[in-house]
Amino acid sequence: MSTRPEPQTLDPAAAPPAGSLVLSLVGSGGDGIALLGDLVLAMAAQQGLYGMMVQSYGPQIRGGESAAILRIAREEVHWEGEETDVLLCFRARDLARFAGAVKLHRASLVVLEASDDAPLPEWLGRSARPEFRYPFATFVDGVEAEGEPKNMMALALLCRVLGWPASLAHRMLERRFGRRPAVAQRNRAAFDRAWAAGEAVPALPHLAGHGVPLYIESGNEAIARGAIEAGVRFFAGYPITPASEIMETLIDELPAVGGRVVQAEDEIAAIGMVLGASFGGVPAMTATSGPGLSLKTEMMGLASMAEIPAIIVDCQRAGPATGMPSRTEQADLNHALYAGHGDFPRVVLGVFDAVHARDVMHRAVRLSEGYQLPVLVLSDAYIAQRRTVRDHPSDNRGQPKRVAWKPGDPPARFHLTGDQVVSPFRIPGTPGGQYLSAGIEHTLEGYPSASGEVHQMMNEKRFRKLPAIARETRDWVRTLGRDDAPFGLVAWGSLSGLLREWVRERPEWRVFLPEIIHPFPVEAFTAWREGLQWLGVVELSFGAQLHRYMSTVTDMRGVASLGRSGGMSITASELDRMLAAARKEAGR
Amino acid sequence: MTMKAKDYRSALEPVWCTGCGNFGVLKGMTQALADLEVPQERFAVVSGIGCSSRLAGYTKSYSFNSVHGRALPIATGLKLARPELTVVVAGGDGDGFSIGVGHIPHTVRRNVDLTYCVLDNGIYGLTKGQASPTTDPEFKRERGLAGIEERPINPILLMLASGAGFVARTHAGNLPHVRQMIREGIQYPGFAFVHILAACITYQKPEYAQRIWERCEMLPADHDATSFEAAIGAARRERFQLGVIYRRPPEDRPAVATELEGAEVGVWPPVGATSAPPEFPGED
Repeated sequence: MSTRPEPQTLDPAAAPPAGSLVLSLVGSGGDGIALLGDLVLAMAAQQGLYGMMVQSYGPQIRGGESAAILRIAREEVHWEGEETDVLLCFRARDLARFAGAVKLHRASLVVLEASDDAPLPEWLGRSARPEFRYPFATFVDGVEAEGEPKNMMALALLCRVLGWPASLAHRMLERRFGRRPAVAQRNRAAFDRAWAAGEAVPALPHLAGHGVPLYIESGNEAIARGAIEAGVRFFAGYPITPASEIMETLIDELPAVGGRVVQAEDEIAAIGMVLGASFGGVPAMTATSGPGLSLKTEMMGLASMAEIPAIIVDCQRAGPATGMPSRTEQADLNHALYAGHGDFPRVVLGVFDAVHARDVMHRAVRLSEGYQLPVLVLSDAYIAQRRTVRDHPSDNRGQPKRVAWKPGDPPARFHLTGDQVVSPFRIPGTPGGQYLSAGIEHTLEGYPSASGEVHQMMNEKRFRKLPAIARETRDWVRTLGRDDAPFGLVAWGSLSGLLREWVRERPEWRVFLPEIIHPFPVEAFTAWREGLQWLGVVELSFGAQLHRYMSTVTDMRGVASLGRSGGMSITASELDRMLAAARKEAGR
Repeated sequence: MTMKAKDYRSALEPVWCTGCGNFGVLKGMTQALADLEVPQERFAVVSGIGCSSRLAGYTKSYSFNSVHGRALPIATGLKLARPELTVVVAGGDGDGFSIGVGHIPHTVRRNVDLTYCVLDNGIYGLTKGQASPTTDPEFKRERGLAGIEERPINPILLMLASGAGFVARTHAGNLPHVRQMIREGIQYPGFAFVHILAACITYQKPEYAQRIWERCEMLPADHDATSFEAAIGAARRERFQLGVIYRRPPEDRPAVATELEGAEVGVWPPVGATSAPPEFPGED
């Protein structure tokens, strides 16, 4: 048994905050941690409770240790929180992989395997509450053997802890395993036995939902569904962590609306197919992560040069090279902004979370189709696979607006009339519209040209899109906190989640979150920063890519840079420490 | 409406050298299109980069002269998105068999209805005469080109091994035959490969061109194009066999990828499952 000192007294002040609970579930491959987390989240959503689940794996994606961290709440939550209210762990040694991801507070409830006497690691922190031990494992001659499903026993104990009825769990198990009676029966039996034995487990303050079932979606699913809603009808991709679920969701859902999906032979082929489909007039998209984005780079330039709409989603992971595939980072920004030879216009959008993702996809389609250029949508590992409980999305179908050429329109493919910034797109099949689309520099007619003057004129023509896009998107920003708060922070993408909750308790701060990174909403930023005493940029990038980029579009003298490498996202207490250090350095 | 070959020619004058085999390909292709009366607005040519890839611009079509080596994936996207189009892919041996070779087996096993015409002159002409994957080792030795020890690939074997359902070879100097092979390739329902031999007028000597021409012979009259074994035999012969080397009978599964149902790989919904184009976007 544990060699730890006996718990002292319970500190009532350290009780979990009313309104939300954090559960950390840790196990090894085969323990069914992911399924357990899924079921708990589904039960929360069923009761009208909000929440999210972040999964964490060891160095390898499958097998090995895994953890699910859930936060369940009465209202929408935007990050998973810092300290866990419940830690359920089948083997104390499995915790080693999750240093920093799981922390106890003084009143955390720890549920452990009864026969496991390994000590809990120091970094975990200490709870004053006695731990609860339960015999999850089955032993034969002193060796652990296949026994009843541990995750089902854990589910029963968690239901006891949360005050959720067994009948709800039964319904969920029926829904999940109804078509496999043997599995259903085995799971139900394990659940029921643990439920009966679990009367002794301490209950936490009861969280009651509003009773109306809610909707669960990951960032990747939201990107896929947002794209379908916005009118994307062709997708080609290549498997890559952490973006694969975008393709998997589209395989299931795109053909039903008349679209096609191709799992391409490589990342280059995937974007090639996207350009081919879009050249054919069909809104098209690909999705990848950093290594794939590197490979797609040549054709980002081709899309811009040939003025073909294309959407490229990048679920950023820690890089460079293979980096840390399942870990988050915000360091593909430079690549999205600058990569590719030659000068060419493009758009870069950032995704805050799963709810925002659907909206971003509408905007991506609107800009790529409307302006005939590549649009990069940057998500990241933190939100890509995180499952979020949200209100049911509204029916929001869009119709892409690509200006199509028709007989009688200007005779040249790249002709501009008046103050237009795009030329009507010639969709194959339109009589009389035949033209040459080319990556080679070309005249207004589309004919190849090696003239410096033509090159200058066509660059001017293509770059005319950016000021028009900047005007259209000038208010694509979110701000948090009071307008007159003296201290300011700029962040983008998934850090928005933490900041939404963080700023609520810190009225002296305001936050600026651009939804479009390029072209940067400079006017909105300039108006927002008015009256600030101190300003910093926080980002998951060792090279401070957002800070550096902003200094090319606005005055960033004296603005602190709080960039660090990715891996884990930033927590509230870490941010406080980063800000204290940065402000100390600035002499304030 | 009777179509003529010149109806498929754009206003652009080819930049090819006088005497280049590409003229034969362009002529034969436009003749084949006229034979089939393919509507101009439903015709698309996708190409990569190289002398022969310039062909896209010389056809009156929705053509796309893209980047080096990527014509096949781009054409795949176009054809899958707009199945009612006739899509021809044009390119050279460097574009197709070197930088873009990775796309060949996958495009073949996906069996998208494309006609892939490769003008193979065994040289990088646009970049002034480097060795390509099909350059003869003897020629490399004579000219001091890189990779003397590297043997040329056999494009016909490559296509057959990948499971292509239609494999033909012709020579750019035999115009009626080029026309016939491209026409049959377009007519074939599925991925079709037309290998077009030629020489480079600028970077190869006339004797070399003569050697290639003399190495060609028509397939024997009794060649059974529906036999995979006969096709492999023809592909391995020392002399270049011209004609339809392999035409998979409709009832046969792909010769290599036999485990694949109908050869639709990684495409949802499967190729051929629907002939209707996706919901068409555009103006209100």
